[in-house]
Amino acid sequence: MVSMQTAIQIQNVSFAYGAKQVLHDVCMDIPARQVTAYIGPSGCGKSTLLRCFNRINDRISGAHLTAGSIRIHDVDINRADIDLQELRRRVGMVFQKYNPFAKSIYENVAFSLRVAGKTKRADLDDIVEDALKNAALWDEVKDRLHSSAFGLSGGQQQRLCIARAIANQPEILLMDEPCAALDPLATLKIEELISELKKQYTIIIVTHNMAQATRCSDLTAFMYLGKLVEFGPTMQIFENPKDPQTEAYVTGTFG
Amino acid sequence: MTSHHILREFDKGMISLKADVLLMASLARQNLERAMRSLLERDIDLARSVIADDSDVDDLERKIDQTGIDIMVRFHPVASDLRLVITSMKMAHNLERVSDHAVNIAKRSKKICKSLPLDEVGLAEPLYSLAGKLLRDALMAYTDANAELGEGLKVRDRELDRMHKQMIATLSGRLETSPGRSENLLHLIFVARSIERIGDLAVNMGEDSVYLGDARDIRHEHSKASTPAPQGSSESDALA
Repeated sequence: MVSMQTAIQIQNVSFAYGAKQVLHDVCMDIPARQVTAYIGPSGCGKSTLLRCFNRINDRISGAHLTAGSIRIHDVDINRADIDLQELRRRVGMVFQKYNPFAKSIYENVAFSLRVAGKTKRADLDDIVEDALKNAALWDEVKDRLHSSAFGLSGGQQQRLCIARAIANQPEILLMDEPCAALDPLATLKIEELISELKKQYTIIIVTHNMAQATRCSDLTAFMYLGKLVEFGPTMQIFENPKDPQTEAYVTGTFG
Repeated sequence: MTSHHILREFDKGMISLKADVLLMASLARQNLERAMRSLLERDIDLARSVIADDSDVDDLERKIDQTGIDIMVRFHPVASDLRLVITSMKMAHNLERVSDHAVNIAKRSKKICKSLPLDEVGLAEPLYSLAGKLLRDALMAYTDANAELGEGLKVRDRELDRMHKQMIATLSGRLETSPGRSENLLHLIFVARSIERIGDLAVNMGEDSVYLGDARDIRHEHSKASTPAPQGSSESDALA
C-alpha cells in the first residue's frame, strides 16, 4: 500500500450531526485506482464517511466535521474556498436506489455537461457515447438513446447513473450500496463494471454484502460505532482479520 | 470463535464437521493401533478387522468433504471459519491415508503371521511409538488450533526418519545374512515405511493446523531454506 498513490487522505476525522457524534478519529489513506470497500453494521458511519468525500453531508442541517481533515491531492476539501460543484465533479457518486432524471437516456448523461457549459452537440454525442460504453450500457441502449430512462431495467438504470457520473470525468467514484436494489445478475454486471472502471477511477464502495466486498474490492475497511476498526487488503480481512471485532463481524458471530 | 453464529444451521454444520474429523481420527488411530498389535502379537483376526473397518474411515472422509462443500456453498465462511472448513477437509484426507497405511501394515502382518515368528518385528515398536505421539499431537494441534504445536512436528519427525533409516539398514543387513527369511523381512521393511509415512502425514496435519491457527502457510519451507533439512527416508531408501 505504501507504494500506491493516495487518492484520499483521511486524517483524524470526527464528524457530527448536530450534537450526535457519528465518526470518531478516523485515519486512513485510500489508494488511487483501487477498489476500497467499507463494511460494517448499519449505523456504523460508513455512509457518512463516504458522503464526507464529496461533502454532500453539507446539505444536512447541523452536519459538520468536528476534527481532522480530508485531503484530495493534498488539498483540504473542507476549506472555505473549495468550489463544491467542482469537488462533486471530481468525486462522483452513485446511490443505493438508482435515480435517473425524468429525461431521455441521452439527456441523463448530457445534462450535467450542459450545466457545466458544454453545449456543442458533437462533443456531447462523443462524451455520452464514451460514458455509456464505459458503463457497459452502450450496446443495450444505442438504438433508443432518446427514450425515457425509466424504460430501462433496474440494473440498466443503475449503469446509466454510473455513466452519468463518469461523463464528468471524475477521479473518484463513490458507490453507496450500488447493488442493494438489484437482482443477482444485474449485481454481477455492476461488479464486473467496477473491476473495469478501477483502471481509470478510484472506487469507494459501501456494501452490506460481504461476498460482494470479497469479489470486487482490493481493500476492505471495517467500521463499527463510528470508528475504523481495521483496514487492509480484502483477502487478509476475510482470511485472517487481526481484530477480534472484525473477525466476529465477518464470520457472523457479531453482537 | 466460541460465540455462536447468527445462523444456527451454520453452527450445526461446523460442529458436525469438527466432530466427524475427531471421530475419523479416533478410528484411524484405532486401526493403526490394532494393525501394530496384530503384528507384534501375531493376531491375524485383528489384522482382518483393520482391513474390514477401513471403509468406515473412507465413508467419513466423503462425509466431511460433503459437509465442507455444503458449508462453503451455503454460508460462504470467512476468516477462522473458512480456515476450519479448509483444514478439516485436509485433515480428513490425511487421516484417510493414515488408515490406508494401517491397512498396509495389517496386510503385511497377516503374511508375517502365517510364517514362523519373526524376531525383528520388535524393531518397529519404537517407530510406532514415536509416530503415534506425532499423530496424537497433530490432532491436538488441530483441535486446539495450536499453531506452535503443529509447527513443531516437522522437527520431531526427523527423529522418526532417522530411526526408520536405521531400521532399514538393519533389515537390509539381515536380508543378506538370512535369505530364507527374505520375504518376511521385506514385509517388515514395508511396515517400517508405512510408519514413517504416518509421521509425514502427522507433519502435514501439523502444517495445516498452523494455517488453522495463524493463517500461515508453512508447507514446503524446507525447500526454500538455505540449509536443507534431513531428507529422511524416501521410497528409494526403503526399497534399497
